[in-house]
Amino acid sequence: MIDCDVHQNFDSLSELLPWIDPAHRDYIRHSGFGGFELPNYLTWTHPHGTTRCDAVPPDGGAPGSDYETVRKQLLDPLDIEYAILTGEDILSVSSLPNPQVAAAVATAYNRWLIDEWLPRDSRLKGSLIVASQGAERAAEEIRAFGDHPDIVQVLLPCAAPAGYGHPQYHPIYEAAIEVGLPVAMHVGGEGLGINPPPTATGYPTYYIEWHVLLIQCAMSHVAALTFHGVFERYPELRVAVIEAGVAWLPSLLWRMDTDWKALRSEVPWVKRLPSETVREHMRFTTQPLEDPEKLEQALGLVDGLEDMLMFATDYPHWDFDRPDLVSRRLPTSWRKKVMGENARALYGLPLAPAVSVTATEAGRTS
Amino acid sequence: MSAGAIIEREVALPLADVPPGTSVAVKAFGTTVAIFNVEGKLFAVGNYCPHHGGPLCHGHVSGANLPSQPYEYRYGREGRVLTCPWHGWQFDLESGRTMFDSSSRVKVYEVHVDSGVIMLTRQRRREGSR
Repeated sequence: MIDCDVHQNFDSLSELLPWIDPAHRDYIRHSGFGGFELPNYLTWTHPHGTTRCDAVPPDGGAPGSDYETVRKQLLDPLDIEYAILTGEDILSVSSLPNPQVAAAVATAYNRWLIDEWLPRDSRLKGSLIVASQGAERAAEEIRAFGDHPDIVQVLLPCAAPAGYGHPQYHPIYEAAIEVGLPVAMHVGGEGLGINPPPTATGYPTYYIEWHVLLIQCAMSHVAALTFHGVFERYPELRVAVIEAGVAWLPSLLWRMDTDWKALRSEVPWVKRLPSETVREHMRFTTQPLEDPEKLEQALGLVDGLEDMLMFATDYPHWDFDRPDLVSRRLPTSWRKKVMGENARALYGLPLAPAVSVTATEAGRTS
Repeated sequence: MSAGAIIEREVALPLADVPPGTSVAVKAFGTTVAIFNVEGKLFAVGNYCPHHGGPLCHGHVSGANLPSQPYEYRYGREGRVLTCPWHGWQFDLESGRTMFDSSSRVKVYEVHVDSGVIMLTRQRRREGSR
């Protein structure tokens, strides 16, 4: 089983100081009220806390900040072949108004990821997180680090001031193709900093509204990538959408197909059914898997969906999905693909050899 | 013309009733046919859009943006593209095919003028000939 969304984190941003460009180190250390902090979701706070309460490491650090806890709680007991690390606080980097600071923080994060996390365990694979508000600089970052053997994708936070089909982002895709990586869009930064309000009607009142409607950004990116002709321009490009669930896909794909038949003259470079383009070029992680009684029928509404979905736990978030429960709810013939093979194909992951970890004790949580 | 075909002709209406730039719907062959005069050249197609049945005689004739590279507009088929007045599906007036790749099409009738009168022709397969 391959887990496509595992949130490892730093305990505080100061943990990245050794990796930050000296030109920005003092700013990170001293700006604001005793140091720079990335914007977080204080605006909409989960009533019970955003992370699993049992995911706090023994030393009391942030959930996801301690490798041993991740190993004992996730990697070992769930028998995970690969875990794709997607970061946590860093996912709001797209909300920073200063593109140089954003790029410096993203670079520091990537170097920290490569130095501190990826060497620890052969199951861990990394996402190169780039600050999309400066696409040229992001492209440099991709060219600098993208060929690391344990980096498997470029990751853009979903929140952005424009749909990711917009030409301002194309340098990111060119660089990703150059280094042979897919691009992921992961929920993050919605409604924060320079990013637009998180919903199409502005700022929601409640966390539950905010959380339910996080899919709006993902939907916008799917439409923008399709109708800007990004996949016509870059046929090699593959894009994964992470942590946005999947039940909205049939509706969006139908709407795109229906409208395209009448409106294609506006985007004549879109030469085939939008759903066919999405099916070929895009992948979607399952979490948070919606919970209708007839999920299996709902998923069956889109041809080829079994090739587009990739399992993810979203550990250590409150709405994480258990692999056994997800697998059970999928049509039998989909399970192998969704629980691992689709991700293996997208990320080019070999069948895992024996696990190699720095720790010697393969403990389990009690 | 295939040996299995039945050819039927019907008088539609005087050419003078469809000046260039206009269109009409006429009863013919037990159905309704939309006739377009595009700068003196006549086209005739089944009047009802295969999508939702929109009356194609009210559609406009123009060109269309043809399949192109991203951000490129390549206008072509001027005077040969019919846009349904309802949902905007576009058809090639000569082939009846949709401008997007699909199996939908509108029936095309041969049309010619005989002594100032528009004549429609349709071919049908002889029964049992398929």
